Amino acid sequence: MRLARDVCVLALALSACAAPDPNATTPLDGPDRASFDSVQAFLDHRCGTLDCHGTRYRNLRLWGHDGMRLAFGDVPGASPTTTAEVDASYAAVVGLEPEIMNAVVADHGANPERLTLVRKARGTEKHAGGAIVSVGDVRDVCITSWLSGATDETACAAALVYP
Amino acid sequence: MVERRVMGLRIASVALAALATTCTLDPVQSEAVADLGGEAPGVAPGPLHRPGQPCLVCHDGSTAQPAMSVGGTVYGVVGSASALSGASVELTAENGATFEATTNAAGNFYVEASAWQPVYPLRVAVAFGGLTSTMSTIIGRDGSCAACHVDPPSRISAGRVYLAPSAALLPDAGAP
Repeated sequence: MRLARDVCVLALALSACAAPDPNATTPLDGPDRASFDSVQAFLDHRCGTLDCHGTRYRNLRLWGHDGMRLAFGDVPGASPTTTAEVDASYAAVVGLEPEIMNAVVADHGANPERLTLVRKARGTEKHAGGAIVSVGDVRDVCITSWLSGATDETACAAALVYP
Repeated sequence: MVERRVMGLRIASVALAALATTCTLDPVQSEAVADLGGEAPGVAPGPLHRPGQPCLVCHDGSTAQPAMSVGGTVYGVVGSASALSGASVELTAENGATFEATTNAAGNFYVEASAWQPVYPLRVAVAFGGLTSTMSTIIGRDGSCAACHVDPPSRISAGRVYLAPSAALLPDAGAP
């Protein structure tokens, strides 16, 4: 009896210490890339300036016209945002918390505050830039509608000039 | 014995207070200050010193006085190192509040934190001699112009803050 118990404890301990599978991957089923353009335009404008997320010193890095540029030779505030910059910003946003992003997308955008992206933007989690959006305003809707799979293009367009 | 302890405490308090007023314990901020280098020869610390440097690295309310909420340097022409004196810097906060500052002989301007604390994001325009140049993007949260505007322009910097895109478009100093 005692031996069996010890073997179980040992087995549990060994399984807890097992090395992670080096080939394990998390499939990325993020929200739609095609409808991210308008969301990116808003994020670039409001969050992606050089003194905020348009810098290599942030975990969430955004690229585009209003901030950090992807290609050498492009300058902030000059040429329009490139497709490569939208791709890079998409990868940054979706890849920040891939497992949670997958879950939110699978739930059609329900409970988006599971994402740090949304909590920080809403100011419900400490954010150096403060609260950027309020629940239900056009800026919030721009992001959360994209997470739900039906980007509200009107909200995103309004978010660019809000308030 | 008690007297010695009290004296020791007093000395420790004074030392701690001196330490707090002369340096910062934040290594990132200390490095940022050190990276700015020394004063330019012949220019004493004051409103004319360190043009083109990020003011709020030091003028944060603890390292150097006065504490500033916004500060920077304006140049006349893109790519030029000639400061623009007498330019009006018009700041507009997200809540609509505005503040106007004027550049000095070094091209420097600053807003004391006690005078105005803007609600970000900020929009900025520079006006001089009838010409107005508006910053095409917003300022997210850093009141130091030079935190982003450093020379030369690159993919991570828009270059110096300037008024005119060419010398031909720069108004005369005496123009209205």
